[in-house]
Amino acid sequence: MTSLATRGPARRIGLGAAVAALLVFTLFPVYWMVSTAFDPKALTRGSDLLPSGVTLDHFQLVFERGNFGTYLLNSAIVGGATILAAAVLSLFAAIAVARFRFRFRTSVLIMILIVQMVPLEALVIPLFIQMRDYEMLNSLLGLSVVYIALSLPFAIWTLRGFVATVPKEVEEAAYIDGASWPRMFWSVLLPLVAPGLVATSIFAFITAWNEFVFAYTFMKGSDKYTAAVGIYQFFGENSTAWGPVMASSTLVTLPVMIFFVVVHRKLGSGLAAGAVKG
Amino acid sequence: MKDTLIGGSGRAARDTEDTLAAGRTAPANPGPGTDTDATALRRRRRVELTRPWLLLAPALIVLAGLLLWPLVQVGKLSLQDYEVKFGGGVGTFTGFDHYADLLTSGLLWKTVLPNTVFFAVACVGLTIALGTLVALLLNRLGTTWRLICSVAILAAWAMPAVTGTYVWIWLFQPQDGLFSQLAGAAGLIDPETTNWFTERLPFYAIATVNVVHHGFPFVAITVLAGLLTIPKELYEAGMIDGANAWQRFWKITVPTIKPVFLVVTILSTIWDFKVFTQIFVMPGGNGSNPDVYNLGVFSYIEAFAKNDYGAGSAAAVLLTLLLLAITVVYIRTLFRQGEEEL
Repeated sequence: MTSLATRGPARRIGLGAAVAALLVFTLFPVYWMVSTAFDPKALTRGSDLLPSGVTLDHFQLVFERGNFGTYLLNSAIVGGATILAAAVLSLFAAIAVARFRFRFRTSVLIMILIVQMVPLEALVIPLFIQMRDYEMLNSLLGLSVVYIALSLPFAIWTLRGFVATVPKEVEEAAYIDGASWPRMFWSVLLPLVAPGLVATSIFAFITAWNEFVFAYTFMKGSDKYTAAVGIYQFFGENSTAWGPVMASSTLVTLPVMIFFVVVHRKLGSGLAAGAVKG
Repeated sequence: MKDTLIGGSGRAARDTEDTLAAGRTAPANPGPGTDTDATALRRRRRVELTRPWLLLAPALIVLAGLLLWPLVQVGKLSLQDYEVKFGGGVGTFTGFDHYADLLTSGLLWKTVLPNTVFFAVACVGLTIALGTLVALLLNRLGTTWRLICSVAILAAWAMPAVTGTYVWIWLFQPQDGLFSQLAGAAGLIDPETTNWFTERLPFYAIATVNVVHHGFPFVAITVLAGLLTIPKELYEAGMIDGANAWQRFWKITVPTIKPVFLVVTILSTIWDFKVFTQIFVMPGGNGSNPDVYNLGVFSYIEAFAKNDYGAGSAAAVLLTLLLLAITVVYIRTLFRQGEEEL
């Protein structure tokens, strides 16, 4: 592209200004969140760009008085269960649609594409009633089951691409060596799709970690809140303690951000077909 | 890989026999028409027919039980008055009453639908415009700066909807928030009396900034991937013909990667129609201010705050049908461009 650009100083300044604007717009909210979390005078910082100091008080408060450790643990448990189940189920399903040609294959794929467009608001009412009938409200297991279902369509759709890139010849070589299908799967296919599987699983984890509607509706006992719902409790009707809110937001956001930046490259075009946003 | 093949589990020996029978006897054994050949062939057919379904079964059962069946249920609920009684819920069939109530209510036509539609249109338009501009910018940068900007964009994308919304609320918080103070210092507002969250327009303006901030990275990165596939010769030819940057964008870039624009537009539309969390956690968004209802929040409030599950379900069905219509367009687009090889 540089060969096309006539590199005058005006153009360079324009480009620099655009980059600066982009960086400010994308990163300023993150900076404001983190700096408020550490600011001892968070509530009255007003328009001071730099925090008035650095303190861990807000973090201490959310753990000691806000029970945030429990919420984070709940989120981690639900996320862990979602990862495990979604990885296994989506890998099997992805192999089926990527490796086999069978009747209704296209219909299955289109159905998977359609169900992930369904709004959560439409699912939360019947699932709430269903879960209440099974006495699964207020249970981490009940919530995990819902998240597994929510993360499956995207996981299948993405993994399908990873399975398809493994050359068939590699599988055939395993058969010639006398391996059965399960053996081939375990020793050949699984190690080759492992990077994709890890990336997809992390996305399933992020889905569960970020989700709000179901956790808010299902979890009525405060010992069962997930982190996303836990922060909501720090909001007051008229005044909000922004230091603790931003401290807990930081704790929820940073792991997701790090994971996301790390795995994004691996997912590539799969993102175009799947719905990553909540 | 060879190592993993050699050092294996005990199951392998047992399974080997199975594969030999299922997969390899027939081609390995040239003698045609023998009994074992026919059995092996039949067996292989059976495996080929059943294995994909066995692999799919667990995922399909979960999807059917937790996504499809609830959709049927929400349709059924929308035709009922559902009451929570001791020991379980009782539904009374009411026909299309909830839909009649919904479609004749002033709230739907004056508040809920305009909020939903105008908000979605504003978000989609701004997301696509900003995403495209950022993609064009990234395309002009060298490797280092492109990487820095990409990471910044990914950070915005990765911001969870809940915490991202809290930060925007904090930035616009009456009195103490950064933008309230800045606007007060500039003399634009009186920070003591201005609350941006109580009125519809500023409320949704803040929600739009939030959703665009979260949504443009996907567009930028997808459009950039499209830009990288356009041959440079096209632009060189355009420049020789005397086309300026504006003309080159509309006459070369847009037509060449039109499918990419179609896909990101439709996906953004689907996402922005069903925005819930970002509205719900904003001050007044959880039902206390009916002026700012969108379709999703309205459905949720009807069902869970007013315990009118039937009416909530009717609104949810309306939203689902809206999204389904857009989804059908999306899938037809995917098929027409043949990009997704199903």
